[in-house]
Amino acid sequence: MPETGASEGDPLRYNHASPVVVARLRWILAACALLAACGGAEGPYPAKEIRLIVQAAPGGTSDTVSRVMGSLAESRLGVPIVCENKPGASGALAFSYVARRPADGYTIGHAPVEIAIVRSLGYADLGPSDVSLICMVSKTAPALVVSASSPWRTFEEFLEAAVRERGGIVMANSGIGSIWHFNILLMEQGTGARFTHLPYGGSTPALVSVIGEHSDAAVAGVGEVVSHVQAGKLRALAVFDAARSGVLPDVPTSHELGFPIGAPAWSGFFGPGGMQENQVELLAGAFEAAFGTEEWAKLCRERGMEALFLDKDGFAEFANQQQRFFEREIPKLLRLGGA
Amino acid sequence: MPGSDFRSEVRALIAEILAGLAAILDWQVLGFLAVGVSLGAVFGSLPGLTATMGVAVLTPLTFWVSAEQGLAMLLGIYCGAIPAGGIPAILINVPGTPASIATTWDGYALTRKGSAGLALGVNAIASAVGQLTSIMFLAFLAFPIARFALQFGPAEYFGLALLGISLMAGVSGRHVIKGMLAGMLGLALALVGLDPMTAYPRYTFGMSEFLDGISFVPVMIGLFGLGEVLIQISERHKARKSASAEIGRILPSAPEARTMAGATFSGATVGTMVGAIPAAGGDIGSVIAWEQARRASKDKDSFGKGSLRGLAASCSACNAAIGGAMTTMLTLGIPGDAVSAILIGALLIHGIQPGPLLFAGNQSFVFSIVFLLVFASLLIMAVGLLGARPLARILNIPPPWLWTGIVLFGTVGAYALNNATVDVWAMYAAGLAGFLFRKARIPLGPLVLGLILGPMMESNLRRALILSRGDWLGLLTRPILLVFLAATVLSLLWPLIRRKLASTNPQP
Repeated sequence: MPETGASEGDPLRYNHASPVVVARLRWILAACALLAACGGAEGPYPAKEIRLIVQAAPGGTSDTVSRVMGSLAESRLGVPIVCENKPGASGALAFSYVARRPADGYTIGHAPVEIAIVRSLGYADLGPSDVSLICMVSKTAPALVVSASSPWRTFEEFLEAAVRERGGIVMANSGIGSIWHFNILLMEQGTGARFTHLPYGGSTPALVSVIGEHSDAAVAGVGEVVSHVQAGKLRALAVFDAARSGVLPDVPTSHELGFPIGAPAWSGFFGPGGMQENQVELLAGAFEAAFGTEEWAKLCRERGMEALFLDKDGFAEFANQQQRFFEREIPKLLRLGGA
Repeated sequence: MPGSDFRSEVRALIAEILAGLAAILDWQVLGFLAVGVSLGAVFGSLPGLTATMGVAVLTPLTFWVSAEQGLAMLLGIYCGAIPAGGIPAILINVPGTPASIATTWDGYALTRKGSAGLALGVNAIASAVGQLTSIMFLAFLAFPIARFALQFGPAEYFGLALLGISLMAGVSGRHVIKGMLAGMLGLALALVGLDPMTAYPRYTFGMSEFLDGISFVPVMIGLFGLGEVLIQISERHKARKSASAEIGRILPSAPEARTMAGATFSGATVGTMVGAIPAAGGDIGSVIAWEQARRASKDKDSFGKGSLRGLAASCSACNAAIGGAMTTMLTLGIPGDAVSAILIGALLIHGIQPGPLLFAGNQSFVFSIVFLLVFASLLIMAVGLLGARPLARILNIPPPWLWTGIVLFGTVGAYALNNATVDVWAMYAAGLAGFLFRKARIPLGPLVLGLILGPMMESNLRRALILSRGDWLGLLTRPILLVFLAATVLSLLWPLIRRKLASTNPQP
């Protein structure tokens, strides 16, 4: 790239030309180095706008979380946070992009569960341990739904049919390799159920196909199903989590039903590997202040997300444990799914 | 007494309608609507900046205002962007949004004939009429339309896509074989990326940038925009057509309006229906509407060469798709397209949940939305007609400046879509292809159709086969699919039938 190569290459070329120029350049370079050192160590961070790279297209949950969190954290940081969307390859493009940026605290990224998955899928050689994790702000559990007019009223009835018919039930998913698809595979692995899988390009078309009774059931985020459940179009049979969901309090959890399965989606923030400790803490502090606002609590309520704050150490522990889980399970699950 | 029951129900309904109107008859709400329409016009007229992007980026701003104000701004952007996308399509042959591809066919031809003003005028009027018609559908037939949209399973989507692809021949003009080849190329390009059923990478050459396939918008900007610039540069010695920058009158004459009326309303009907179907929007709707108008017309050869009917049908369908998408969103809580998906999120923040419950419990809000859409369509007509003359001045810019501007905006637009450099390269490659295709007289329409409809056709056929357990004949039990298949066969055989009729008729 010409922008970075030039500053190092030029002095060498002048070396052959004139010793005076070299001497002057040395002074200038020394001055620049001093300035840079001051800026890095003692200069107030942040001094300019911060770019927040979102791994999904505008309008989705990742985008909304990033934009709302960004605008709430701005006032605390005193500089604007500008969101940029770089969708593609389950987020791998955005994660790799952020990881390659200088670790100066001015480029950070949204870290969803996919950051712990993309390596296992072969989309990018990168995981949570390769980047500087800042903090985590929310978690969304998966929910199993059927059409409101379907014959299955409880999880047990549904499971009994899924085990008996071995593939007779059509299960719509939000795409092979997506987090909600893995939850369906985890259910097959953990309960002995077998489904015919119907992949869609996202949760919305998958749920629409259940509402239109083109498929029998689907697994998607609690926040994605809740409005259809309340409108009486879908029936939620189980939430794959240990604790009951705040927005679907009457729906039993998988753990209650005797099947400790479930892999939630989550949202956090990260920067390139090797960011300075104090910058990470400053950003985490700003996001924690944003986390405490009524606006954030309201967004979580409306989107069916569980507001959950983990600082950089807690987030690192959680994300790395998730990474190990997916590295272990994905090869097994994909064999099971026949993909 | 049943009579008085009915009367009190009507009285209650009128009260709800008036309450809905009163909630938005507020200078702040209407101000937000006007701001939205203007912002939408900017997003729509710049290729690469889409209505989806405009609505998504401005959604967080609406958290700090009331539900009516926020919704007014977002709906304004949505409604304003679509007709604005037709402006560059008409003036410089570059569709501002994917919905305005069909607008280039007749709109740009009119500009070359020196009737840019009239084309812009028709764009403004037909867009507004199309939107108003679709709002009437929303107000009176919302639930039947929604039920129709829900009938669409994989087999039906496959049928719709197949019908769209069969229009390749129609949009090829006189070069049918070349058009088919271009269409096949479009379908082949649509195969790039993750396999929709197994998520296995196809033709990506190991580059993760291609996992999501080739982005359609940069290809569109390249084929139409850059390709046209290169053609003009290469032909500037022969004829200085672009120098005759005549604008002409803007309002259509009464006889012209009469010829367009039928095409406008049938375009609006097609646009509303296609818009109501989730994941199918103005881009597909306007192409089908254009082809339908062509088939209904006695003067088929004028289509693609500056037909007012073709232009009116495509513009009307683009904006009618908004009413269709809003119908699905309000009645079922299901997004009819990408923009309404974001609108649902924005409404949820304000504690309003689109869906059957909204219709039952908060009718006045539904009527507020209906009235906002009505005001928005009046605004886009006013802005479109008043802005036509100043906008058409673009044609007075010396060609080299104009070309530079198109390349510049095209590059920025291609990058802005996904913030990805690979899209810029795709745009330049498509530009070169667009230039060579035009030189070889290969039509571009079929390529675009293949690229848009290929993924929809492939993934839904495979889904339908999963559901029928691999039984091809089992698909034929679905009535809507059968209608689409019959229409497809008819559209392919129609030229033969017409020739047969023409050859038998002269000797009775």
